[in-house]
Amino acid sequence: MNPEHAPIIQMKNIEKHFGSVIALAGVSVDVFPGECHCLLGDNGAGKSTFIKTMSGVHQPTHGEILFDGKPMHFADPRDAIAAGIATVHQHLAMIPLMSVSRNFFMGNEPVKKVGPINFFDHDYANKVTMEEMRKMGINLRGPDQAVGTLSGGERQTVAIARAVHFGAKVLILDEPTSALGVRQTANVLATIDKVRKQGIAVVFITHNVRHALAVGDRFTVLNRGQTLGTAQRGQITPDELQDMMAGGQELVELEGSLGGTV
Amino acid sequence: MTSLTKKLALAAVVAVTPLIAATGAAAEGEKYILVSHAPDSDSWWNTIKNGIALAGDQMGVEVEYRNPPTGDIADMARIIEQATASGPNGIITTLADYDVLKGPITAAVDSGIDVIIMNTGTPDQAREVGALMYVGQPEYDAGLAAGQRAKGDGIASFLCVNHSIQQPTLAERCQGFADGLGVELGNSMLDSGTDPAEVKNKVLAYLSANPETDAILTLGPVSADPTVAALNENGMAGDIYFGTFDLGEEIVKGIKDGTINWGIDQQPFLQAYLPVVILTNYHRYGVLPGNNINSGPGFVTADGLTKVEEFAGEYR
Amino acid sequence: MSTTSQVTDERVKEMSALRRWLIRPELGGIVGTVAVFTFFLLFATDSGMFNAQGIMNWSTVSAQFVIIAVGACLLMIAGEFDLSVGSMIGFSGMLIAIFLVILGWPAWMSIIVTFILCMLIGAFNGWIVITTGLPSFIVTLASLFILRGFTIYLPQTIENKTIIGGIRDAAEGDWLAPVFGGKIGQGIFQWMGDNGWIAVFERGSQQGKPVVEGVPMLIVWAIMLVIIGHIVLTRTRFGNWIYAAGGDAESARNSGVPVNRVKVTMFMFTAFCATVFATCQVMEFGSAGADRGLLKEFEAIIAVVIGGALLTGGYGSVLGAALGALIFGVVQQGLFFAGVESSLFRVFLGVILLGAVILNTYIRRIITGER
Repeated sequence: MNPEHAPIIQMKNIEKHFGSVIALAGVSVDVFPGECHCLLGDNGAGKSTFIKTMSGVHQPTHGEILFDGKPMHFADPRDAIAAGIATVHQHLAMIPLMSVSRNFFMGNEPVKKVGPINFFDHDYANKVTMEEMRKMGINLRGPDQAVGTLSGGERQTVAIARAVHFGAKVLILDEPTSALGVRQTANVLATIDKVRKQGIAVVFITHNVRHALAVGDRFTVLNRGQTLGTAQRGQITPDELQDMMAGGQELVELEGSLGGTV
Repeated sequence: MTSLTKKLALAAVVAVTPLIAATGAAAEGEKYILVSHAPDSDSWWNTIKNGIALAGDQMGVEVEYRNPPTGDIADMARIIEQATASGPNGIITTLADYDVLKGPITAAVDSGIDVIIMNTGTPDQAREVGALMYVGQPEYDAGLAAGQRAKGDGIASFLCVNHSIQQPTLAERCQGFADGLGVELGNSMLDSGTDPAEVKNKVLAYLSANPETDAILTLGPVSADPTVAALNENGMAGDIYFGTFDLGEEIVKGIKDGTINWGIDQQPFLQAYLPVVILTNYHRYGVLPGNNINSGPGFVTADGLTKVEEFAGEYR
Repeated sequence: MSTTSQVTDERVKEMSALRRWLIRPELGGIVGTVAVFTFFLLFATDSGMFNAQGIMNWSTVSAQFVIIAVGACLLMIAGEFDLSVGSMIGFSGMLIAIFLVILGWPAWMSIIVTFILCMLIGAFNGWIVITTGLPSFIVTLASLFILRGFTIYLPQTIENKTIIGGIRDAAEGDWLAPVFGGKIGQGIFQWMGDNGWIAVFERGSQQGKPVVEGVPMLIVWAIMLVIIGHIVLTRTRFGNWIYAAGGDAESARNSGVPVNRVKVTMFMFTAFCATVFATCQVMEFGSAGADRGLLKEFEAIIAVVIGGALLTGGYGSVLGAALGALIFGVVQQGLFFAGVESSLFRVFLGVILLGAVILNTYIRRIITGER
């Protein structure tokens, strides 16, 4: 879209083999800051493997990852998090029994030194949590409200707000909308939009074409471990995307029999 | 909020009701507490409970039986401390582990409570902690007497089935028996556990591995009953020399049909009954027997079993 | 969109201040404690339960439960169980006895080496659990048998008996032993005795001394462990990790929480608590027995559950567990003071456990929005 700004992550010809199974067979994707890059694909297309490679969980068998133009080798997810790549997982984002502010700072607890001992700085954590959540449009009853009392969409929003607060440059969202109702989905998509406007690169994994088109700037479709190319917004129609995802013909036939409702 | 309050109140009432129902019935007169070391599962102590209950009725005193639910001697020490705190006229207790119980018992004596040691312990230890007397069967001596008797019957090797290996006094019975026979205890002591099926199978396994074993010594109904079953199963019943400590219904039956040669009756009834009577009379009239009382060992054989049979498990 | 979500969600009812204050994980424990004390004050006041000796008696028993409950509580919040606590108590006591009495080591060395060995065993339990992914229930069940087996085997092989005595004499004059077996505040109690506020021994070598000599270190340890445990859990970053590890280990890992380290540390802490229990016990009673600590693991877990912790982890309170232990100890000892047949103890325990769990589940649902 914007030729002068450089991609923050370049995944070049990534291959990933698990024993004799080839999960990724040469995938190349560029992710730009301030853009929402939608990664589409059916179940088993290799989406999870691809984002796990991007976030340091897996090492690629072949291929190169450039981060800010420099080659990157993430030994584990902590490296990736330190570099600014944050992943928000579909189900594994939040701990329902814990309060919002404890969740928000999980793994990054602010500490206050009293004498020789480092204490969890609850006042700071509570203040920041309330502030960040208000920015995302969620009014909490209090920072000690348990995450279990929030709706699914609100939980995703907390997770996203958390990643942004801790300086994520790239935010990977793994199917954030797949289990949500209409209104909550709209909330999450609105959040994605807010995040993108802050200059953060968003990688949005979904298999719902309409959700992708609502916020996406670029669309990459994965199918059986291969990419069918990246399209920019406006260059592709919903039907074309849908076809690419399902690998073409079969779905066209299926769609016919279902009267174009898929 | 009101519904929460109601639920809380309800929960409190539910928790408290059975407690109220179970309290009450506190007789007038002196109060004596018997503390044992036996876990709840040990049925032998039923005779003790019956013994103090009968003595309590007859003397018109209040009696109570207390024991550590799991048989943990450290818990027993706490129970003695607690008994002391409740200020009874006397405490009747076993001395299952001298080291552990010495402190609490001495403290009870020093706070002005009269103590009688029953069942386990030795006369010396009883004197040491300041108890009035000892009523029971010195374990090692009883084992020794049994061993000497078995030696006279021509026994040279034996298996000792110990159902409570962690309790030192029971092992002394085995040790005494071995010394009475004049042999090493060595591997003759079997850690059988208390589960009947396990005891039975361990005995079976031991006997098939050591077929030359002359005799079996069991240390109470817990080990004797399954051992009888084991001998019936492998056909050695009546053939192998079989002696046991303590009595119980199955043991009496075994003595009657010849499976068991003799049972050593330490007469637990007396160990419970006598201390209550002695303490009551001591507190009422100041009279006290001049010596320790040996309630056993008494050998029970097939002769003269009628009374034993009638009251086995209840007063015998 | 943003305008609608700015206003409070009309479906979430506002909570009154009172209700919010009431709804805490410890509520069940507080209610239970009040109920239990009310009951015993009504039915056992003149039984000696609330004289100096009586109070010291149930406090000591409760303190024992508290010590193991704190460890079990933090471990349970971290999402794991340790069924080997009881066996660990027996085993560590036996180790001290063997080092001190049989090998003739100085007491401080015996105690320190025992602590190190037992915490290593705790770490080993944790290591097996996290590397195999087996439920800790099974792994520590195995430890329960292994440790108990050694506790019987070692003294039997070495000394031909299952109880090793003489610990108090061997530890005489040691600097570390009184930290576990000693008492504090003797002066105050003597003073209270002299003033006739508490009873004194009527005869014997202790004549004139108060019946309660001082506060046993066991109680001091219990209070310290509760305070430290509570602060660590609620006020430190590590505490947040404990909650996170037990709430959802996978989410916690994704957020950068070192879950394995947290769990192993908690296993070690549980072993530490069991060893504190055992050391206090052998130093007070002077002997180590093969049957010490039988079934204590369940008593610890019961206290923790009465105190409001969730069996599946991620939720609970050290203060609650301590109250649960207090209830347990007071009921166990108090029933006797109230003159209740002792075999009914288990019935009451069952009733209290059930009542507490039902109440706690209700409270927890309100707090966490579980359905």
